[in-house]
Parts: sequence; structure tokens; C-alpha cells
Amino acid sequence: MGDTPAIAVHDVAKHFRLYKERAGSVKELFTKRRGKRYEEFWALKGVSLEVPHGSVYGLVGHNGSGKSTLLKMMAGILKPTRGEIHTDGRISALLELGAGFHPELSGRENIYLNAAILGLSRHEVDDIFDDIVEFSGLDGFVDSPVKHYSSGMFVRLGFSVAVHVNPRILIIDEVIAVGDEEFQRRCFEHLYKLRRQGVTIVMVTHSLDLVRTLCDRAAWLDHGNILAEGKAVDVVHEYLAKVNAAEGLRLEEEERLRSEFEASQTEAARPVGAPEARNIRLGEIEALDADLRSTRLFRSRHPMTVRMHYECRAPVESPRFSFTLESQAGVLVAHPFQFPDFERGSIPVGRGYVDYTIRSLALGPGEYTITAAVHDAQGTMVVDKKERVITFRIEADEPLLGLVDLGGEWGGLQSGPGGDVDR
Amino acid sequence: MTAVAEIWTYRNLIYNLAQRELRSRYKKSILGWAWSLLNPASTLVIFSIVFGVIFGAEAPQAGNGSTNSFALYLFCGLVVWNFFSGTVNGSMAALQSAGALLNKVYFPPSCPAIANMFTVMLQALIEGGILVAIMLVVGNVGLTYLLFPLLLVLVGLFGLGIGLVASVYNVYLRDVGYLVGIGMNMLFYATPIVYPVSQVEAKLPAWAFRIYELNPLTQFVAWARDAFYLLVWPSALSFLVVITVSLATFAVGSLLFIRKARNVIEEL
Repeated sequence: MGDTPAIAVHDVAKHFRLYKERAGSVKELFTKRRGKRYEEFWALKGVSLEVPHGSVYGLVGHNGSGKSTLLKMMAGILKPTRGEIHTDGRISALLELGAGFHPELSGRENIYLNAAILGLSRHEVDDIFDDIVEFSGLDGFVDSPVKHYSSGMFVRLGFSVAVHVNPRILIIDEVIAVGDEEFQRRCFEHLYKLRRQGVTIVMVTHSLDLVRTLCDRAAWLDHGNILAEGKAVDVVHEYLAKVNAAEGLRLEEEERLRSEFEASQTEAARPVGAPEARNIRLGEIEALDADLRSTRLFRSRHPMTVRMHYECRAPVESPRFSFTLESQAGVLVAHPFQFPDFERGSIPVGRGYVDYTIRSLALGPGEYTITAAVHDAQGTMVVDKKERVITFRIEADEPLLGLVDLGGEWGGLQSGPGGDVDR
Repeated sequence: MTAVAEIWTYRNLIYNLAQRELRSRYKKSILGWAWSLLNPASTLVIFSIVFGVIFGAEAPQAGNGSTNSFALYLFCGLVVWNFFSGTVNGSMAALQSAGALLNKVYFPPSCPAIANMFTVMLQALIEGGILVAIMLVVGNVGLTYLLFPLLLVLVGLFGLGIGLVASVYNVYLRDVGYLVGIGMNMLFYATPIVYPVSQVEAKLPAWAFRIYELNPLTQFVAWARDAFYLLVWPSALSFLVVITVSLATFAVGSLLFIRKARNVIEEL
């Protein structure tokens, strides 16, 4: 072993031909000689990286970035067009669970077959057979044909075989995102166990949390190039920054389309109030970061300011601004509202804005939407309203589940009499 | 050499693939394994009637000096032919059907074809066993039976050499499969299976017969008849030719396969 990495990828490029028509025939050899039958496509354009022994390596990137192609080449399924890949140790690849299962054969026969596909001898399979069955939880079904299995059982058996063949290197392509929660939990437990045993794991996943928590190192692929490579946390951070920038543009574009659509709706659809109250109208609504720059991307536990611009045509007595914050699922997360006892007096004619400043955003990661409104002094009538005017995204620096960050603190462990523990 | 070593490490896969093929082949059929005997038996009956009775093809005297059966003479040739054609055709089907799997897991792409060769070889062994049983009954017994295992190995290598090439080129160009189909059909009649060689020798000019004799399958079929029917040993020259041709075909076929198979998985 020494200093040789588990997988060394050296300047690897992969070229595909995308056929315009699938059919190849002798006739084409003569007739279509001049016109090309296919388009050239470089899935990878010179990628180099090293996966150290015993590390967990994550590959991130959007669809079509070349992650899976690279994975398939590491597994030896595809051959690089240029460059070299050296691997050190037995590889087990989970590109599809239960690949190679024959529906007519029993679970037992398929275990032997599948393990043989992964390169095991008969004796080696004999040794791990019971573990495979136990992990898959298929005890009573081992001798029935796998075509009678539920899809869950099928996948469980496939995963079980793949992780029990005692690989030095395990290659996983997004496959753990299957099966029920209980099984997923066991899969992860097993992955952690393999990691402790020093198995090298390379995984493609869209779950950045998984990369952050499970992976030591990661590479970010984009259009066949490596944009970042290094410690998993850093790579994910860089990746998110880029993705978020693109995401921000998308969110802004969606808002623009929506406001255009709403502008095309008739005035009648807008809230109507008493004529004097209609004298105030909402203008642009902005979401600002700590430096008061407009953005669509925020981070949990960082500042945020919602700025509501307005235009006043005639003095209005003590209008009340509010906005609602909805999660992507439509849950009303918050509804900040100006109280009537604010001594604001009347607003002079002209334009202005009002800020709502949040010192530390206590929200979990996700997309949120703001609906802004202005009410009359009594708060009973909506004078103007902008539905779903801004959508923004929140990312957490550390894994954070749920909508809300409660901001609490854990105390140290205290010994002493406590409540009864149920037995 | 590394390719050979790799195949060796995957021998258990070849075994399992063959086993899978055999186990799943006759699932859901009442007669099951009997089909593997009924099929060649029906061919034998048809050919015996058509060529032996209707066309009046005659077999030479068997090695024991008393038996003279066209059906048995025919059977010897059919065993070899079935093995050969099963290996070639099966190789193409095996690579095609393993395509999805080869896209998910790495293993040498020649394994399915090799596994197929062994399943067909098993079939040939069974047919050979039946042939031996009949010959024992009619009292046509000889040490030349021992030629059969060697014959199986050589036909297997020869068929695999051709099958591997056909299978990999067929992936790129489907026409190969159709061409092979026609070629096999022609080869069947270009080989003295349903008629004795003597008839051809009498009707063809000497130079044409020389070309006819170049067909390696003629030699294979002759060996099978030498072994089971005529009970004579092939000439030293025949040994030399058959072994050389088989090994050379296998070597060339494997090399072409390895060269072409490098990127075949993308095309499957």
C-alpha cells in the first residue's frame, strides 16, 4: 500500500459519440461516408485527482458534469479515451442495486451470482452468505425467486451483497437514496462501519449534507472539468457559492416573470380601500444582506434586512406595513406587523422606504417567499399588497434541519436524581 | 497474458453465468431438461428421413464391420455442428444480453460468451454420452472414443474464436449478425454432415475439392465420425491441422475481441 493512493486519476479525458441515428448498417458505410453519423462529446476533459486509502471521497456537480462517467471509469466499466486510472485493491461498484439479478432464480442463487459478478470465489461467498442474508432481512425469502420480491427487498438484497463482498474500494452512485428510512439508516450505519474499517469509498451524491458529514475529500466537476478539489467542507462551500449565485439569478428571473404577469392583471384584482387610503402604494421590495446589498441568498444566523419602498401621493395617516414569510411548502413562518401605537404620524407626499432588520436569521435552509402589504391605521384594511414578491434562499453553514433555528444551548451532563426511565 | 489471468480470476463468474443460464433455461416447462434431448432428437429424425430415406444417402460401414446406420453417422456430425453453431450464435446473444449488466458492474466482457460456450459444451457432452450409449448397444466400441474430449475442447476454442469476433463486431454493426446467420447456413451444407464426404469427392473437380477440404468443420466432423463410428484414429497431419487451426482461430479471435471490446460497453 504505502503511499500509493487507492485510486489515482491522471489527466483522464473521455470522449463519447452521440449517434444521430442508432442504426448502424453496412449501407451507411458506403452512402454516408462523408456526413458524420455522430456528434463528438467530451464528457471529461482532462481530470486528475487522487483518492487516498481509507478516505471517503465525494464527487459533486450538476447533472451532466461527468461525475458518473468518472465513477464508471474508476470502476473499470468504461475506459478513458486519454489518460490513466490506477486502482489499488478490489473494487465493488454500486451503480445500480441488484444489477445482474435474474428474476427467475432464487435469492440464494442470485447472491452467488451477484457476488461472482463482483469477483468473488465460491468459498468467499460461502463465508459471507449468512451476513448478506441477515443484513438484507430476507430470511424467509431466500429460496423464492427474486421476481416475487418487492422492490424494497430487491434493493436491500443488492446493497447487502455489494457491501459484504469485502471491497477495499467501494464506489457508490446515488444509490442509497432508495429504500425505506429504516433501511437507509442501516445503509449509512454500514457505510460508517466500512469507513472505520478503512475501506475507501467514492460516492456521487446530490446531498451536500452527506458530503459534508461523511466525506473527507471531494471534487467538484463541471462540464468535464474539476473546478475545485480538496477538503470536502471547502469544496462544498465553493460549490454552494457558485450554485447559489446561479440560483439567485433564477429566483430573480422568476420574480420578474411573476411581476410582469401580475402587472398584466387588471386593477380590479388589486385591493381597494377608501380613496384617501389608496394614496399610498408599495414600490420595490428588497431583501438585503449584512452590507445592505440586494441578494436572494442568505445564510442562517446572519443578518437580513427587508426593505419596503413606497410612494405616497397625498399625506396618509399612520399606515402600517407588514410582510409574511412563507416556506416553500407554504407554511406561514413569520408575519412581522407594525403595531398601531407606533407614533409615526402621517407620511409626507413622496417616496420612501421602511426597513425590517433581522440581526440573526433563525431559519433553516430552504426557499422562502415574501408577501408584502400596507394597511390602514386600524390595520383592518389592506391598502396595497404585493403577493409573493420576493423568493430567496437560505443556506446553512452547518447542517441544520427543520425550519427554525431555536438558538438554544446544550448544558453539560449533570449527574443526580432524575425522572424515572421507562424500561 | 494479463487477459488470460483476468479470465481466470473471474472463473467463478463464468461458472455462475453458465449455471444461471442452465437453471433458468427450462424453468416453467413440464418436460424441463428433456427438451435438451428432444430438440436434437427431432433434428436427427428429420434429417434421417429427408437425407437418408428420401435422398438415399448412405453411410459407410461402421468400425465394427457390421453396423451400417445413416442416422448414427449423421448424429456424429450433428453433435459437432450443434456445439459449433451454439457457441457462435450464443456468443453474440450472450454479449448483447449482458449489455445492461456490463454497464453497471465491471467484469471481462468475454465472460458471458465463455459461459455460453460451456453450457453448449455440456449439451454436446450429453449428446456424446447418448451416442456412446447407443454405440455400446450396437457393439461399435473403440478406444477412439477418447478422441471426443479433445475434439470438444478444440471445437470450443474454434467456435469461441469466431463467436467472440462476431459478437463484438455485431455490437457496432448489426449486419454482422445477419451475415453470420447466412454464413452458418451455408457452412452447414458445406460441411459433410447430412451427406458423406465421398459423394462430394466424386462430384467436384480436384481443385474445388481442395478448397472444400479447407473448411475446418469438415475435419471436426470427420474426427467425430472417426471417434464414434469408424473407430479409427485421424492421421497425424489431421491432428496437426486441426489443432493449429483451432488454436490460431481462438488466438486471433481473442485478440480482435480484446482490441474491439475496450469501448464496446458504451455501444451496448
